[in-house]
Amino acid sequence: MFKPTPTLFGGLLWKTPWRLSSPQKARQRKRLRAVDRVVDTLSAALARTGQSTKAVERWYAEMPREEEMLPKDKYTLFDKKEKSYRKSIHKLPKWTRVSQRVNPPGF
Amino acid sequence: MTFFRITLLRSAIGLPRRSTDVLKALGLKKRMATVFHPVSSSVAGQIMKVKELVEVQEVDRSMTKQEVWLERKPDPGYYVEKTSVQERGEMGQQ
Repeated sequence: MFKPTPTLFGGLLWKTPWRLSSPQKARQRKRLRAVDRVVDTLSAALARTGQSTKAVERWYAEMPREEEMLPKDKYTLFDKKEKSYRKSIHKLPKWTRVSQRVNPPGF
Repeated sequence: MTFFRITLLRSAIGLPRRSTDVLKALGLKKRMATVFHPVSSSVAGQIMKVKELVEVQEVDRSMTKQEVWLERKPDPGYYVEKTSVQERGEMGQQ
């Protein structure tokens, strides 16, 4: 059944908004903090038993924490095809379940 | 000996095959499933692979599936009356 909607009629009318809403941003921050918490738990537990893991050390060396990140990095990511070199993070496939924290320096 | 209490909160559907395989190796087959693993660097490495999907706590002892289930069991809202003889018997045992 064909249902005439603006999305089906117009060539470039997408339903995905170009920016995140504020609740989406709030949930994104919540997810970032949840990942920080998991890594903190792992590192604290390992430190207590005198062990260490390369993955955890590397995370601390390379990845900023949620509170250290700039809003720009929390909600957008680098894209060379965009005019401003940035696109909203919800354009990233599976964006709620992947860690995307760092971007090329200078962009 | 301490344990990691790992609960799968987000499913790995649509993620790379490796995430699903790591979850399988940890024994997490469906959402809200909870498993216990001793604290070790190899388990920590496995958790790091799926850190966006799970919730982790450090606990003192490992619990059985039944015990985890009992934690979530709601209060029945009633209690069964006992005779004073039965209650005294229970007091005596304690």
